[in-house]
Amino acid sequence: MTQNDAGGSAPALRTDRLGRRYGRVWGLRDCTLEVPAGAVVGLVGPNGAGKTTLLEMIIGLLQPTEGQLSVFGETSHAHMAARLARVGYVAQDHPLYRDFSVADMFHLGRAMNPSWDQELAQARMDALAIPLKRKVKGLSGGQRAQVSLTMALAKRAPLLVLDEPVSSLDPVARLEFMREVMAAAVGTGLTVLIASHVVSELERLCDWLIVLTGGHVQLAGPADDLIAAHRLLTIPRATADAELPGLIIHRTDSDRHSTVLVRTDPVRLAAQQPPGWQADLVGFEQLVMSYLQRPSKAAAKDDTAQAAARPGPATKAVTR
Amino acid sequence: MIWVSWRQHRGQGIACLGVLAALAVYAIVLGTSMRTAFGHDGLTACLVRSQGTACPAGVTAFMNEFGSEVNIAFWSVALIVPGLIGVLVGGSLIARELEYGTWRLAWSQTVPRARWLAVKLALVTGGLIVVGAAMTAVITWYRAPMDRLTGRFMHNIYDFEGLVLTAYILCAFGFAVLAGLLLRRSIPAMVAAFIPWLAIRLVVEFVFRPHFMTPLTATVNCTHGCGYGIGFVPQATGRIGDLVLSITPPRTGALGGVITYQPADRFWIFQSIEAGIFVALTAAALGATIWLLHRRAS
Repeated sequence: MTQNDAGGSAPALRTDRLGRRYGRVWGLRDCTLEVPAGAVVGLVGPNGAGKTTLLEMIIGLLQPTEGQLSVFGETSHAHMAARLARVGYVAQDHPLYRDFSVADMFHLGRAMNPSWDQELAQARMDALAIPLKRKVKGLSGGQRAQVSLTMALAKRAPLLVLDEPVSSLDPVARLEFMREVMAAAVGTGLTVLIASHVVSELERLCDWLIVLTGGHVQLAGPADDLIAAHRLLTIPRATADAELPGLIIHRTDSDRHSTVLVRTDPVRLAAQQPPGWQADLVGFEQLVMSYLQRPSKAAAKDDTAQAAARPGPATKAVTR
Repeated sequence: MIWVSWRQHRGQGIACLGVLAALAVYAIVLGTSMRTAFGHDGLTACLVRSQGTACPAGVTAFMNEFGSEVNIAFWSVALIVPGLIGVLVGGSLIARELEYGTWRLAWSQTVPRARWLAVKLALVTGGLIVVGAAMTAVITWYRAPMDRLTGRFMHNIYDFEGLVLTAYILCAFGFAVLAGLLLRRSIPAMVAAFIPWLAIRLVVEFVFRPHFMTPLTATVNCTHGCGYGIGFVPQATGRIGDLVLSITPPRTGALGGVITYQPADRFWIFQSIEAGIFVALTAAALGATIWLLHRRAS
């Protein structure tokens, strides 16, 4: 898979204060990220959070209003074909031409992509028992999703971008689809970016996480690092926010106790932790859900404070 | 890209061939009987002798049999069909991708969208030129006997022959492609393109066409009346195909009337001017489409 080495040591994706405005509304703002090559990234956020906006700018379907973006070091809009060649894209709802056969779709892929891998495409259809002669309109939703995925993979691009790939599928098709994505990602060096609002399906797959709400990046980094940088504190209810070490992400008060998710330095917390406080590691899903529930205005306000606590945007390569 | 364009538009291509085939059948049937009647009425010799004025009975008989085909049946077709072909092909070209979300597929392959559009437009435009030229050829062939009596400058004849039919199709196509990008839906784009196309088409025909070039003026003897003459031969000039624009009858007692007219030999100049207008409109619409699509995302 030599194509996956495109760009050498450049990060798969780098954005710097990237923003996109629709009329007077910002779909995405101040998005600064650096995703290493080979990462499998979950991009989580509620509907309207700016996920599709970010993805469409990565592919080149949308032009940023402000900021910079590079894919494997390629920034130039003058070389649109070079940009397009680096990204395989599975769009939401898996658009395909309804009156095309599967073979026609692959013919289109071959005609429009110089690095098209016809053998891979046909082998995948054989394995999935999808007949090449079948028209797209005769395929099930799950099969269409698989054809879309196959087209993106056969393009042999080093970055695979999936926008809500399973939200329209039934549970069995979801499982099969994610299994195929995982099989394609593991051990090949392919960088994968999956946008979803279903957190549970990402946990097993992703080693990198980006949480987006209200057009702002709330959280970004290797999943293990993020989990290590958070603690779930159980404390007496009377404890004031100011007394808590680190940044408060989410607080739930019950009669006598409060449960607080904080972003903190575990070493400092261990040194300062008063008796009667309990500090637990947080799970992937709970971590994500806590950030999703956070009002985005609060997030925007303490962006600067958060930047200090942020565990350096992906300075260390993810080992897989 | 050539294959992709062909695969996406081959249904429309086949439909256009179907329309052409139907037209050809109609033309062969009618054209053959027209030729037979033309010989039977002895019009060839008569035309050589006298521009048709010497055999009014033969001309009248022929026109009674076939004149209605030229005047009525084809009038509406002449007006609407080129526009329909153009908007049906153009309206879906971009709008269907936007309607079904397939633009995300089409424009995320390795071909930049401006190139994608340029190749498609080039190929589809080429196809429409072939269709327009073929329709023109078929119609011109079958109506050749009629044209010898009427000339080619009259409204419902001029609109079929020469260059303008193809130019009308292209213009409707260009408008519909642009409307499809702006409205993002096929059917509204077709309607939104057809209406201004029809308006421009009629305004050019009835307002501008008579004045593409300064009309000639002639003083004529109106002893026997100053009408348009037998059949379609302007009595005033005596030459088939001259398009008389106005007749100022003589005051009572005087002999000479004044006419203004466009001579028949200006047919190709007029065709070129009118086709040029519609091709320029096409180029403007398609250029705007490419520019908008390129700007929207690059």
